[in-house]
Amino acid sequence: MTAAREVDEPTRSDIPPVEVDGVSVRFGAITALSDVSFTVAPGTIHAVIGPNGAGKSTMFNVLSGVYQAAEGQVRFGDARLDRMRPYQIAGIGVARAFQNIALSGTQSVAENLMLGRHHLTKAGFIAAGLRLPRATREGKRHGERVAEIAEFLELGDKLQTPVGVLSYGDQKRVEVARALCTEPRLLLLDEPVAGMNAEETTRMAEAIREIRSALGISIVLVEHDMGMVMSLADRVTVLDFGRRIADGTPAEVQSDPEVIRAYLGSGDEINPSDAAAGHPSETPGTRP
Amino acid sequence: MSEATAPAARGATHTARHAATARHRSLLRPLLLAAVLVVLLLAPLYVEEFWLRTGFAVFGAIVGAIGLNLLVGTTGQLSLAHAFFLAVGAISYVYVSGESGGLGTTTLGGLGWPPLVGMVVGVLLAGLAGLVFSPIAARLRGIYLGVASLGLVFIGQHVLNTWTSVTGGFNGRSAPDFSLFGFTFANDNPLLFIAGVPFREAERLWYLGLVLALAAYLFARNLLRSRPGRALQTLRDSEVAASVMGVDVQRYKGRVFLVSSMYAGLSGVLYALSIGSVAPESFGLEVSIQYLAMIVLGGLGSVGGAAFGALFVSALPLVFQRYADALPLVSSPGQGGLNAGEVARYLYGAAVVLVIMFEPAGLAGLAGRFRRRGRDPGGGRATRSSSASTDPSTSSVPSDRPAQGSTT
Ligand SMILES: Nc1ncnc2c1ncn2[C@@H]1O[C@H](COP(=O)(O)OP(=O)(O)O)[C@@H](O)[C@H]1O
Ligand SMILES: [Mg+2]
Repeated sequence: MTAAREVDEPTRSDIPPVEVDGVSVRFGAITALSDVSFTVAPGTIHAVIGPNGAGKSTMFNVLSGVYQAAEGQVRFGDARLDRMRPYQIAGIGVARAFQNIALSGTQSVAENLMLGRHHLTKAGFIAAGLRLPRATREGKRHGERVAEIAEFLELGDKLQTPVGVLSYGDQKRVEVARALCTEPRLLLLDEPVAGMNAEETTRMAEAIREIRSALGISIVLVEHDMGMVMSLADRVTVLDFGRRIADGTPAEVQSDPEVIRAYLGSGDEINPSDAAAGHPSETPGTRP
Repeated sequence: MSEATAPAARGATHTARHAATARHRSLLRPLLLAAVLVVLLLAPLYVEEFWLRTGFAVFGAIVGAIGLNLLVGTTGQLSLAHAFFLAVGAISYVYVSGESGGLGTTTLGGLGWPPLVGMVVGVLLAGLAGLVFSPIAARLRGIYLGVASLGLVFIGQHVLNTWTSVTGGFNGRSAPDFSLFGFTFANDNPLLFIAGVPFREAERLWYLGLVLALAAYLFARNLLRSRPGRALQTLRDSEVAASVMGVDVQRYKGRVFLVSSMYAGLSGVLYALSIGSVAPESFGLEVSIQYLAMIVLGGLGSVGGAAFGALFVSALPLVFQRYADALPLVSSPGQGGLNAGEVARYLYGAAVVLVIMFEPAGLAGLAGRFRRRGRDPGGGRATRSSSASTDPSTSSVPSDRPAQGSTT
């Protein structure tokens, strides 16, 4: 049950590798990341794992331009992500689903998803306020694509529902759908199944596999569910206290003594055999 | 290629009920709106001058409240400078369209241009003032912007009191009548009767206010339902999420500040027309706070709510004044006791407190509750209050998002 990649899946020529090169991030005295390097090969699913507080979300914040790296570079093809602002990074096709849901609770699912189309659309204040035909047409055209993506993530019948009233699992799916709506070349998923039940987890794993195989994009996945990581990922980078302690295929990483030590110390589970079905953790991200 | 292939449709069923309620909603609203519109259009034929003048004042306030609501309610940026932008609009109008001449010891300047030009210049100059301030607005967030904007009100007061040749100084100056291509919004010129009813200044201004308030309402509604509106609302809920999804946060904060100040400019022009003059005391901090009261009462983020809030807050003192004799506690001007303005202020002060405690979604939230009660019991509670209670993720500062303000 290791990564089952089809042989002839499309790898798009417009998807460059992500090169994280010696990145350090500090918050005052805390070093959240220290000299971390890894490369995400085009069209692969690359997992970043590690105990809580290891710096995984911080890495995502660097990749999406929210945090500035104190040292190091992040390259995505020719683009230097470490020098760009978040909206510019979104503009070149990097999308992110947040670990802690960051949706607009008052807006409907459709409206939240339409935000994903922001960098693909143009309507400004005047065109929108006056309902100029081109703004209306644009909204309609992109609305159709949004409905498709919602359907794909089983949100098709909830498009008009305000996000605030959805279940936790549904909201997590909206997070992923919104990121997909940006038509990304690189998709960053921060614990997409945290708090989901076993069945939801299985379906999300399927969806992630399908996204990669149908779109051929690169996916970086932060996940606690080891079963899911081991079955989905082509490559795994392990962080502990902000340092990279291992980097390799799932099988390599799993047998790495330092990784086992880090996980034993934290009480987290690395053995995939009993986690393979997806553990129904009720409280995401609250483990000590 | 990939665009169409990815979402291979997976079992999703549209419930019929969902479609039905949506259709129901889409029919009811326009009908209600049309009915209200007809009443408003016919009002001058039946209603006496006092109500028409009050109505015009309300229309002006509605424009201003909708503008402030875009900034505060929709985007979550607090501004206490609304009175300043009202003043810029009002003063620009009286200066551009007023005649120059002496007033006692002082000489007033004035360009004497057509009032329509004065109105447009008023809106544009308010916008310009907003633009000048918007780099600051773009970098500050929420309450910090509120404090920074406070300075504008004081600057405005100082300028109003001292730049006498333009503003008329402490005593203010009168506002020229509005006119549109030779048609004057005054008692005559031309004399006009419709269905036997004399159409004088009050009747004419009523329609002017109605048209402008309606335009302001529609523009804001369209805006909120489209790309920029979604960006603004997301920005309110999470700046980081908005920026990561591709929204240039600083630019949008600056833009919405500009739009909001233009709304205020137009509202200021209408205020000048409504009162017939402008004076520094009309643009103090209390006015900014009054506008905040309007949008809190109406429901932050709701365009219709802002209109209702404006109606409540701006009409109340006028109505109390008119019925001072009939109301307990309220006294006519010049006598002891509470005057109408004070009573009205206590009343909407109390209303604001009640709203914040019991219906954070304001009048708009109340209306929504009644609408839902008739239709779909239990389900679909969907107003701001629900997000406030069910969405703790936006208020806490989790580690995958930085502390507030660290991106700005
Ligand atoms: N904005 C911040 N300010 C201060 N410390 C932070 C901030 N963000 C993350 N950290 C710290 O960085 C470390 C790594 O956190 P994080 O990246 O969220 O871990 P993970 O996602 O792997 O659980 C933690 O010690 C956390 O407290
Ligand atoms: Mg995390």
